[in-house]
Amino acid sequence: MAFDEIFAVIVIGAGHAGCEAASAAARLGANTALITLNLDLIGQMSCNPAIGGIAKGHLVREIDALGGIMGRVIDRTGIQFRLLNRSRGPAVQSPRAQADRSLYRREMRRTLEQTPNLQLRQGKVVDLVVHNHKVVGVEMEDGRRFGTSAVVMATGTFLNGLVHTGRRTYSAGRAGEPASIELSESLKRLGFPVGRLKTGTPPRLDGRTIDWSAFEPQPGDEKPVPFSFATERLEQEQIKCYVGYTTSEVHEAIRANLAESPLYSGKISGIGPRYCPSIEDKVVKFADKSRHQLFLEPEGHDTNEVYLNGFSTSLPAELQQDLVRMVPGLEEAQIIRPGYAIEYDFVDPRELTPDLQTTRVAGLFHAGQINGTTGYEEAGCQGLVAGINAAQFVAGREAFRLQREESYIGVLVDDLIKQGVDEPYRIFTSRAEHRLALRYDNADARLEKYGRDLGLVGDSDWERFNARQDRLAKLRDALDSCRLRRADAAYAAMSSLLDADLGDQISLAQLAKRPAVTSELIRSLLPSDVKSLASESDLKSALADSLYAGYLASQEATLGRIYQHDSLRIPKGIVFASISGLSNEVVERLNRAQPQTFGDARRLPGLTPASLSTLLVYLTLRQKAAA
Amino acid sequence: MSTIVALSTPRGRGALGVVRLSGPEALRIANQLTGSIAEFEPKRVTLAKLLERDGAVIDEMLVTYFKAPHSLTGEDVIEFSCHGSPAVLRKLIDLTLSLGAQLAGPGEFTLRALANGKVNLAQAEAIRDLISAQTEAAAKQAALQLNGELSRALEPLKQQLVDVIVVLESALEFVEDDLPAPQLERLDQELGLVQAKTEELAASYRMGHLLQDGLKVAIAGSPNVGKSSLFNKLVERDRAIVTELPGTTRDTLSETIDVDGIPIVLTDTAGVRPTADGIEQLGIERTQSAITEADMVLVVLDGSCALRDEDRDILQRTASTRRMIVLNKADLPSFGTGNGQLPAGLKVSAMTGEGLDSVRAAILTSFDTATPESGSLLVTNARHHDLLLRVGAELVEGRAELKSGRSEEVVLVPLHNALRLLGEITGETTTEDILSEIFATFCIGK
Repeated sequence: MAFDEIFAVIVIGAGHAGCEAASAAARLGANTALITLNLDLIGQMSCNPAIGGIAKGHLVREIDALGGIMGRVIDRTGIQFRLLNRSRGPAVQSPRAQADRSLYRREMRRTLEQTPNLQLRQGKVVDLVVHNHKVVGVEMEDGRRFGTSAVVMATGTFLNGLVHTGRRTYSAGRAGEPASIELSESLKRLGFPVGRLKTGTPPRLDGRTIDWSAFEPQPGDEKPVPFSFATERLEQEQIKCYVGYTTSEVHEAIRANLAESPLYSGKISGIGPRYCPSIEDKVVKFADKSRHQLFLEPEGHDTNEVYLNGFSTSLPAELQQDLVRMVPGLEEAQIIRPGYAIEYDFVDPRELTPDLQTTRVAGLFHAGQINGTTGYEEAGCQGLVAGINAAQFVAGREAFRLQREESYIGVLVDDLIKQGVDEPYRIFTSRAEHRLALRYDNADARLEKYGRDLGLVGDSDWERFNARQDRLAKLRDALDSCRLRRADAAYAAMSSLLDADLGDQISLAQLAKRPAVTSELIRSLLPSDVKSLASESDLKSALADSLYAGYLASQEATLGRIYQHDSLRIPKGIVFASISGLSNEVVERLNRAQPQTFGDARRLPGLTPASLSTLLVYLTLRQKAAA
Repeated sequence: MSTIVALSTPRGRGALGVVRLSGPEALRIANQLTGSIAEFEPKRVTLAKLLERDGAVIDEMLVTYFKAPHSLTGEDVIEFSCHGSPAVLRKLIDLTLSLGAQLAGPGEFTLRALANGKVNLAQAEAIRDLISAQTEAAAKQAALQLNGELSRALEPLKQQLVDVIVVLESALEFVEDDLPAPQLERLDQELGLVQAKTEELAASYRMGHLLQDGLKVAIAGSPNVGKSSLFNKLVERDRAIVTELPGTTRDTLSETIDVDGIPIVLTDTAGVRPTADGIEQLGIERTQSAITEADMVLVVLDGSCALRDEDRDILQRTASTRRMIVLNKADLPSFGTGNGQLPAGLKVSAMTGEGLDSVRAAILTSFDTATPESGSLLVTNARHHDLLLRVGAELVEGRAELKSGRSEEVVLVPLHNALRLLGEITGETTTEDILSEIFATFCIGK
């Protein structure tokens, strides 16, 4: 077959998944092409101009530790940084930043264009070329054909996208951009189970028409916490966001016009994310709430465009304008882009292996919204995993997988491929059983070594990482060995401050576990050589390690109890089909995977709790019979 | 999927024998066995003839058809109820095998029920308990649990716990949303309620495990004081439903009696007989081990004569164990005329039955057991008891963390532990379940 160009890896789509995938594959040595419908919209933030948030910030830190690019790009283009959950423990704190939307795009494109082995191509992919269940190329709308050994599909909302505003619908991948209809058909022809999801976005306002004085300013942190472990300081001038509220008058008007909403008139069949409800959903499902929070988020330094966060809607554009003007402070506000809802195709992620490769077509990887997820960070981390594995695949190297115990990325991928999705999937800290161990500030300790081994973490980053780990080790040592004794002056001061007897002596690590003791206080008690060595964030990391140690042990004990059967061996040559009660589907999955232990079986996708109980009882009975 | 067959009543001769057939071929096999032209109707009992392959009638039997999924295993199930002759039952099973059925492995019916979601793990355990129940009260408890009563009793507790978890999780995850601040005092109260009920259920295990496993009572005494007569008299009236304890070797000197629903395993120890060489060594050992294993010893003395050396020996050897002294032979005129050395004890006559009720009552009162109210739920399973104790301990810890003002993610560690442990009885609560509650409770999302 004749191809116009040959690449080792082709990435389709240059959103947050596609950019990470292309960057990783190219840097791992694969000659990579990133194909996008529009070179000017690489790294576009389709929805709100922000990255991070609880658990999402953890994902970005993990991407960064592995050698991904999202953290560095947002650090260079972020215009407001906040560490969320500061009043809570370190495991659930997470960074968040507003981006200058167009700067983010430019910076992302610049980063990709500087990447060796990476080619950008503009155009529309209409078909995957597959031979003997193996992907060999893609076909473009303009007739070009590119040969390849691996494809990463990162198509976002473009697969058969359908935009809704009021009763009007039109085919689009995002407002104003064409949908990818042929590619969706191509996937269906290959036999992929395709479903439908929905998401939405609020109207954007002209900042000059807003009465800012009616809103409460929300400044960023005084000492911003960046996303990338490599970032030493932020470059962009920082801005404020603003908080306001809807009124019951607005709610009344929305309820009176529900017939105009495609969500309530039955026009939309796709399922939307519950944690990102439209304003229509909010006023219907929580009718007793008299107001809903709104955030005014400026989209950048060089634009008047303001994102009206909290007001996602698919009502008719002219009605959106009327509703917005009912909000105190927005009486004169002018919408410059109406909000809309979009339905799009996704492929059942239970089709995927843990390296995000499809089981149906070798060399085909899926990442981002095509897997039923939502969010830039969720997309980015999948792009990274898929890009790494596409490069590993073409080079004949071992696949790269992360476990639930060590990363949010592992949790996300495992959830997707095992549970599948019935609504757009978002990461939450509660999805991680090992939440206390997976902190934003220790993502480097957890993952940087993997990035280095793969070849994504460069020498200077690796040096910085090792220097930090050395500092942390010294700090931990000092926290354990420095003790306040009764005779010490500091002891009396501390004891009266805490209004408690501290025993004959107490280590700084033990002292730090008391709720009233701040890290500043501990810092003041450190020996001066250690004090001068360690930064504030170093100290916080070291303290967090000791803070959670006891809880982690108790949780591990319970989890260990629940997973106590994991080591139960599955005898060689077992005929799964002979186990009473297992469905053909389950038997097929077991046969394919040939698990060695019950723990292996438990981690397989598609095994129901009932079938696992059955397998467990069978194995136990068999073991008893043998004894 | 194969069709499996097994004898469902105990082996040996009985009035009735039940053979159970489960699987996709069950109905066809039943039709061929009975030469039936009329279809068996679901949930109907049909009188049918069991036919030899040549058409000769072997037996008459009652056939019940349970159509999938409304059956024990969730598959088509046929129950044959025929005369309990081992030969007939053997023949019936052989015929089903020749028609394509397979002999069920141990626990295979329960396994299928589990796989088809007809029972959960707690119910599967209850099936095992039901099969080995010794008294009616124990059987009732097992049946309650088979009906999912324990899971049902725990469900509202789990829900309350989930409610608290939902509030704490939301506070963590949706810090930018306009959520009401958690009211720590109210959360603590709710956890306190869950803790109290969990502990109450755990405490019922004392009674529950008595029901399931019974009390071991050894009867000890010198020869000729009337141990065996007492044993026989107690067994004669109160013999339990099933006399053979599963998993134990049958001891001819042990019988299970039913006292107010509590199974009591009575053991008549070998008399300690003096021989020419002194005291028989084997007899001492057996008696000693029966005494050691027993929860209680009934020391029988002859109330009609004075204390003998052997009696003193027994009294001495049981001094440190839980025991009850019984003065037998109250029917004899010489009863109570001994020289005053006899210790205080219950006055009985194994001959007339006088005083036996007070013996029964005294056994139970000494264990401080109330008669189980029919219908009230007791924890009978050691695993469940252990889990409930752990749940209680986790809740205590969670409340302490909550009160000390720890951050939510820390308070949630013991609470999630408690939820996981409860889930081992009732089935798992997934993160998805908790998230669904959060979204149903609070308006989340910008």
